[in-house]
Amino acid sequence: MIITGIKITILLMAITSVTSLLLGTVVAIMRISRIKILRALGTIYVEIFRNIPGLFWVIFFYFIFPEILPFGWGARLNAYPNYPVVAGVMGLTVDNASYVSDILRSGRLAIPHGQREAAISSGLNRVQQYIYVLLPQMFRATLPPLGTRMVHNFKNTSLCMAITAPELTWATQQIESLTFRGIEATTMATLFYVGLAGVMASIIIILEKVLRIDIAKSAYQTRG
Amino acid sequence: MIKFINASKWFNNHHVLKNINLEISKGEVVVICGPSGAGKSTLLRTINRLERIDDGEIVVDSKYLSDPKTNLTTLRAEIGMVFQHFNLYPHKTALKNITLAPCKVRGLTRKQARERALKLLERVGLLHRQDAFPSQLSGGEQQRVAIARSLAMEPKVMLFDEPTSALDPELITDVLDVMISLAKEGMTMVVVTHEIGFAQKVADRVVFMDAGEVLEVGCPPDIFINPQHERTREFMSKVFHIPIFTKPQEEGE
Repeated sequence: MIITGIKITILLMAITSVTSLLLGTVVAIMRISRIKILRALGTIYVEIFRNIPGLFWVIFFYFIFPEILPFGWGARLNAYPNYPVVAGVMGLTVDNASYVSDILRSGRLAIPHGQREAAISSGLNRVQQYIYVLLPQMFRATLPPLGTRMVHNFKNTSLCMAITAPELTWATQQIESLTFRGIEATTMATLFYVGLAGVMASIIIILEKVLRIDIAKSAYQTRG
Repeated sequence: MIKFINASKWFNNHHVLKNINLEISKGEVVVICGPSGAGKSTLLRTINRLERIDDGEIVVDSKYLSDPKTNLTTLRAEIGMVFQHFNLYPHKTALKNITLAPCKVRGLTRKQARERALKLLERVGLLHRQDAFPSQLSGGEQQRVAIARSLAMEPKVMLFDEPTSALDPELITDVLDVMISLAKEGMTMVVVTHEIGFAQKVADRVVFMDAGEVLEVGCPPDIFINPQHERTREFMSKVFHIPIFTKPQEEGE
């Protein structure tokens, strides 16, 4: 049971890290876009999903989301045995993406105007400006807070116990209530959480080295 | 090549460009000088439409900038621009800074772009620095990489916006040497600069601007030594720190 719990927790963490990063990037681009409607939509997204607890969104996608879907899609979802995990992924993604987008937006604001002007003048189109010039710098500038956010998201996977997704915290509690061996189960869970969070932190430090953040960020101030 | 027809621009109520009429032909080197706030940089930046004009017309390479049919992205690829603060991409090495646009805009293969970039780096004397990041380069080196980056697109025009203003005096020469050799090769260049020496050496014409107006256009000696306009005379006397030679006394004076 605890092994399944660890697997599901890793699965939740891995999937939501990627999906929330993608969704967060899209929302961040919307918020810095010139198009007013996109900007407004992006802001509304962040305000809604950041100001309502992640636990609510996990519960929302499990209990309410299937109800409001048309054409009986909801019933099909409810019948799917792994739906708690799927709902958990959706809930965690929308929650974490709101933070990710705000972090990335701050990264965009840190890039001097001249970067975009250089990209424009060299004939890159809008999409190319983002892909090759702006986004790489946004991610580099915000890697430390993004990393913290991802560790936070990893810990939030435990919220999925509320919707019976068989992740680690849920498993720990089950073991406790079935066998009363709570101390052993909790110790295992603690070690695992600390261990994986440590691994994530190391990955971020390695990334900082690989991306040469030390070198890549300081060029703006160079003069003379 | 470049033509301003009654070009005007406002920043809110501030009239930054007043009825500019100027024509720059192919192969010409034009230096724009004047006091700060005169609108020199703004004028330069309207050529590739980093700034929009509010009235009048600008024609570049016989394309009207205000024409909706003009593809600005394509046009900008033909216009190189060098900035006061270099604006190299800090997350890319010198070589990658140069190869980016040729690969993505011109569709060169990596190998072709690399060869072209190495040739240009050699030309600006920085072949040995190809793998350095911008923050590891001096200002003068960064600016030469920036020039190479623009040249890699094989532009028809090069715009320079105070390319040496942020540099230590010692480093300026290296950058100017590159610009002088470019000018001698027949590149069309529009240069905003206070480097009078550069202007005297290679400029075909000097444009003097003040308060959003083009006050005088002429060959370098005319503008520097023998300016017609009172404001130009005043400016030049301050630039040269010595009283400017007065014109030979005209009769009646």
